[in-house]
Amino acid sequence: MSNESIVEFENVNKYFGQTHVLKDVSMEVKEQEVTVIIGPSGSGKSTLLRCTNRLEEIQSGEIRLDSEAISAPDADVDRLRQRIGMVFQSFNLFPHMTAKENIMLGPTEVKGIPEDEARERAESLIDEVGLGDQGDSYPEELSGGQQQRVAIARALAMDPEVMLFDEVTSALDPELVGEVLDVMKDLATGGMTMLVVTHEMGFAREVGDTITLMSDGKIAERRPAAEFFEQPQTERGQEFLSRLL
Amino acid sequence: MSETHSQNESDVSSGGVLANDTFVRRLGELLSVTLGLAVASFLGWIMFTQVDYSLLQSVFPRFVEAFKLVLTIVVISSILSVSLGTLMGLARTSSSPVTSRISKVYVEFFRGTPLLFQLFVIYFGIPRLWAVGQFPLGSWEIAIAGFSYAGDWRLPAAIIGLTLNHIAYVAEAIRGGIAAVDDGQLEAARSLGMSNVQAMRRVVLPQAWRNALPAIGNDQIILVKDTSLLTVIALQEIMSVFRNINSNQLDPWTPLVWVCLFYLLVTMSMSLLISILERRADWSSEQEESESHLKRLVGSIGEGLGRRQ
Repeated sequence: MSNESIVEFENVNKYFGQTHVLKDVSMEVKEQEVTVIIGPSGSGKSTLLRCTNRLEEIQSGEIRLDSEAISAPDADVDRLRQRIGMVFQSFNLFPHMTAKENIMLGPTEVKGIPEDEARERAESLIDEVGLGDQGDSYPEELSGGQQQRVAIARALAMDPEVMLFDEVTSALDPELVGEVLDVMKDLATGGMTMLVVTHEMGFAREVGDTITLMSDGKIAERRPAAEFFEQPQTERGQEFLSRLL
Repeated sequence: MSETHSQNESDVSSGGVLANDTFVRRLGELLSVTLGLAVASFLGWIMFTQVDYSLLQSVFPRFVEAFKLVLTIVVISSILSVSLGTLMGLARTSSSPVTSRISKVYVEFFRGTPLLFQLFVIYFGIPRLWAVGQFPLGSWEIAIAGFSYAGDWRLPAAIIGLTLNHIAYVAEAIRGGIAAVDDGQLEAARSLGMSNVQAMRRVVLPQAWRNALPAIGNDQIILVKDTSLLTVIALQEIMSVFRNINSNQLDPWTPLVWVCLFYLLVTMSMSLLISILERRADWSSEQEESESHLKRLVGSIGEGLGRRQ
């Protein structure tokens, strides 16, 4: 983890109609940091993540990637999104393409990388996520865990600087969770900057550098993972941990 | 446990004979065989007593001419209505309220008025916007690949009418197909940095197309049958040929045989084409291994027959 911050949230406010879902959220994520965002459902974790690559609009405040404001009205969102990979709870693989084609689509369509080069890269990514022989399978022929690993490879193919993980193991059968978490662990070890919304406390404790506890649209506590799990400083943190044990 | 079991048995018997699956199945078979035999013997009786076979032969060339005309109209209108209808369907889902509302009005108008009315507007109405005899398409001539074609306003009017009408139905099918694509697909594509147009073209539309295929196929078969309305604008299509022969010979059944066969020939080819397209849009590795779609189709028919025994 370096000292340069790469993603910055400054006084971010977000409403869904009348509902105030993000209340004055400020946070800095350093390069190579793994920030695990936890909290009860409805606390705004996923919304915060989805605002980061502007899948949701914010109403005030600013979100910056490498000091460029992605939340600005005139921001080149398509270009900034290329630098932020995202993995979803429901995989969202493209069903009409094989695993390999899913991975190749971004690089060829968006970056204009030649087909051969993109295919080679896709094949090495498929190996990296442990799906060596599944490159030509269609998503419906893969298990949930395999699909999610393809989805991670698809995001990595764009060589992002930051990866967003939105409850990526929540839709998986319990016995498939491990294989996806292992891939994420490797990524973290490799120095990827990650924002991870999850309910997997074991993962948060082992892989997370920083824990962000959200409650009711606000950041209730944000501290290094080891300290947080040792002894949360806030009442909300203590309450949340005690409910897990 | 044994109690529940006997309870179930008594439920079945108290439900009477209709609760018995085998009975319902046999009843269904009996009814369908009866119906099938009734229709078949009626047709047989017609073929033996009503059809004049020498007339059947002598009118055949006239039906072939009409058939060629219908085929030309169907092919052109099909290609135009599916491609323009896809664009209209995209317009329906546009985030711009101007585009989406205008296309909604279009669809409402062409779905909401009879095709016959639309044909009359185009065939009778449009030429009268010029002084009598001045309408430029009143007679036309074009040359394509060495062949030259000439005609009057009937053929263009027919193609324009059928196309405009069926654009509306194809647009609705495409709109439904797009709506059925999960929002997560667009989000995943956009989060890779794809523009809205790229995401629509590479991710959403291929899936929307598959969703819409059955409805589009249905509509295109209706388009084939809608050509029968063209008899009212004096186009020499299949129904017009029938009417001529019937009024000259006072023999309806003989030409009706050809009418039936020619329409079925077109509609059944259309069905075949649609099921091939549907198969191609079935995304899994298996289909790529199969040698030909036709072979698969024949295979599945064979399977269906085998299952009956």
